[in-house]
Amino acid sequence: MKKFTFKKGIRVPHNKTTSGSPLVECPAPATVYIPLAQHIGKPAVCCVSVGDKVKAGAVIGRADGFVSANVFSSVSGTVKSVERRKTPNGACAHVAIENDGKYECESLPKLEKFDKESLLERIAAAGIVGMGGAGFPASVKYAPKKPVDTFILNAAECEPYITCDHRLLLEQTESVLEGASYLATTLGLDSFKIGIEDNKLDAVERINAAIAEKGVRAEIVLLKSRYPQGAEKQLIYAVTRRKVPRGGLPADVGVAVGNVHTAYAVFDAAVNGTPLYRRAMTVAGAVARPSNIWVRTGSKLSDCLEFCGGASADCVKTLAGGPMMGTALDHTDYSVTKTTGALLLLDRKHVETSQPHACINCGKCARVCPMNLMPMYIDAYTLAENYGEAKRYGALDCIECGCCAFTCPAKRTLVQSVKVAKRKIKELGL
Amino acid sequence: MRQTVSASPHITSNNSTRKIMIDVLIALVPCVVCAVVFYGYHVIINLVTCLIFCFVTELLYSLIKSKNLSKEGVKSSSVTDLSFAVTAVILALNLPSVMTVSAWNVTAYNAKGAVAFSFDTVVLCALGSIVAIALVKMLFGGIGKNFANPACTGRIFLFIAFGGAGAFATVSSLFESAATTGATWLGTRDAVTGDMLLDMFLGNTGTAAVGETCVIAILCGYVYLSARKVIDWRYPLMTVGSVMLFSMLFDVVPSGHKGLAFFYDMLAHVLSGGVMFGAVFMATDYSTSPNTFWGNVVFAVGVGLITALIRAFGSFPEGFSFALLIMNLTVPLIDKYIIPKPFGYVKPEKKKKDKKPKKEKIGQTAAKEAGNE
Repeated sequence: MKKFTFKKGIRVPHNKTTSGSPLVECPAPATVYIPLAQHIGKPAVCCVSVGDKVKAGAVIGRADGFVSANVFSSVSGTVKSVERRKTPNGACAHVAIENDGKYECESLPKLEKFDKESLLERIAAAGIVGMGGAGFPASVKYAPKKPVDTFILNAAECEPYITCDHRLLLEQTESVLEGASYLATTLGLDSFKIGIEDNKLDAVERINAAIAEKGVRAEIVLLKSRYPQGAEKQLIYAVTRRKVPRGGLPADVGVAVGNVHTAYAVFDAAVNGTPLYRRAMTVAGAVARPSNIWVRTGSKLSDCLEFCGGASADCVKTLAGGPMMGTALDHTDYSVTKTTGALLLLDRKHVETSQPHACINCGKCARVCPMNLMPMYIDAYTLAENYGEAKRYGALDCIECGCCAFTCPAKRTLVQSVKVAKRKIKELGL
Repeated sequence: MRQTVSASPHITSNNSTRKIMIDVLIALVPCVVCAVVFYGYHVIINLVTCLIFCFVTELLYSLIKSKNLSKEGVKSSSVTDLSFAVTAVILALNLPSVMTVSAWNVTAYNAKGAVAFSFDTVVLCALGSIVAIALVKMLFGGIGKNFANPACTGRIFLFIAFGGAGAFATVSSLFESAATTGATWLGTRDAVTGDMLLDMFLGNTGTAAVGETCVIAILCGYVYLSARKVIDWRYPLMTVGSVMLFSMLFDVVPSGHKGLAFFYDMLAHVLSGGVMFGAVFMATDYSTSPNTFWGNVVFAVGVGLITALIRAFGSFPEGFSFALLIMNLTVPLIDKYIIPKPFGYVKPEKKKKDKKPKKEKIGQTAAKEAGNE
């Protein structure tokens, strides 16, 4: 089978040690703290009050406006409080629900028709967001303003360590494919493509078998295992050879991309009527039992960690997400959201903690940048506080994949500079 | 347990500045061995002198600047990245084995009348090292900030300052006694024969610098550096190709040679002088070469053009190091205007009526040129 790829990028150590461990249910703690902002856009508005009895799947936050998503209770029990708590990127209102341990469920009514309108309505009602990490409300994403002729199911999962999408594909192959075909339906398409890296050949086999058996109109596009193969623009280029224009959306080139887990959530919502309140998550690295777990939103990361046997003593970095683009956490007292795909603990051996040295101008960063930028100059001009010049070298086009900083021999914090530059360019209105 | 918090990415490759420098040093080993074989122990004396003086200069400079004279100060100084050693080795390989200054001439001769030990050479090597490290590299901010190749500038300094005093006059290969700079092909311009080319290729000929002797050794270094991805394998080829092209235009065509002689002349231009060594080890120096493919094309064309001009019309027989130095100065400019087109770049639609300022136009054409990379 021919393998496709994008230009440039890097090879990263996969470290996908958990790809063999099946998804297991992680029990919810005594109290869950469900954040009302689990997506890009406006936070949901709380629609329960203290003392209310709720079931798992009951709406506790209503979407506020167009770009927003419903938030659901993940357990059955009593609303204890609505309080502002910290999230890794700031703070937002959390609904605290005391878990009665009964897990009584409340589901959405059975879907009568599986056509475009009713599916879109269901996606909105079930609070589905892009679960690859960005968390963009799916109801907006799958109703693009421009006509789309290709839907790509993103099964690349190029980040090291993370295996939850891989496990979903292995264990819920048919559900994921069905969910993906529903997503294609919302876009007015009857077939879709699956972009998958060649380090998941067992999943490719499963998908092929399912396609043949169920007659799903899908086509597998095998991709080289190269980082960042799963980045939206790079995936679209690898699969269709189309380039998303600068500052544009995938719909500008007639493509929509959906994550494996999003497809599964759509299936769950459309067929079982289960809204989005739990997700698959990988806990890996320096933990006693690295595993893939089903976790209910609002559980603390520390609960997941405890379930997996706790962190080893020499762990120096805790990450939400993968090692290339994940967020470093100061502690694990944060809630799991719809977009938390991984909890990663890294010990000193596996993490970079050395201080940056002087840039030697080797140009390796520019040679690996999948967006074809020159990170060394963005870094230099940002440090010199000349943000206009940083913009000229492409700071705003950066997708923050981290290839440059990964490959830098002087260990310079190039992505950090780009993040600063982006913020400053916005602030100064350059 | 305290957790470290930092921006992503949290893992990096096991690459480091020191590893790159060690790779370059390994690539230089064949050249050093060949130089010692062809020119004897003088090369080792020069090499050790350059290494010591480069090391001491860089260490002293960083210690004085950081005002931290403790052990930590030494550990945190920039000598730990070994870039001084690369400069030292390249500088030593860029000099003749023996440089006697006629005014001082502190030289011991052996029974046969050949030079046994030349104190002048040691002094010149030390001077070259200090100029290369202190003046060219450290004063401008250390590694990565130097505007010109330190080794190249050190050599040119010695060449200009002491060339008149006879320092660059004698180059005696162990195999071909009394060969001088004047006796290289670039000086004599004898009719080129196949045997001469073979001699040039194997190193059995007099050269102005000990490292340029054996082309096979240089090619070994080139293959190693390319395989380890320290340099882009295309860049030395572009430099050599451009020297070949422009010396053909300015030198070989006017000479009126036809047929095989035409071809031989072109090859001789590439095989003699510092072209091969410089193209592999000096023109690929990170901080003094452009960072983009098309930038390197411009750089290579410039180096070839100036080298050929100096060889054809200049007052020196060899011009590669001068060409390199001149093109080094254009690198910031090249990198300012030749910026690769970002992924998904759309050409802005041209507005017909309002004229665009000229500055923007230059930027656009440069971006267009950089398009394929």
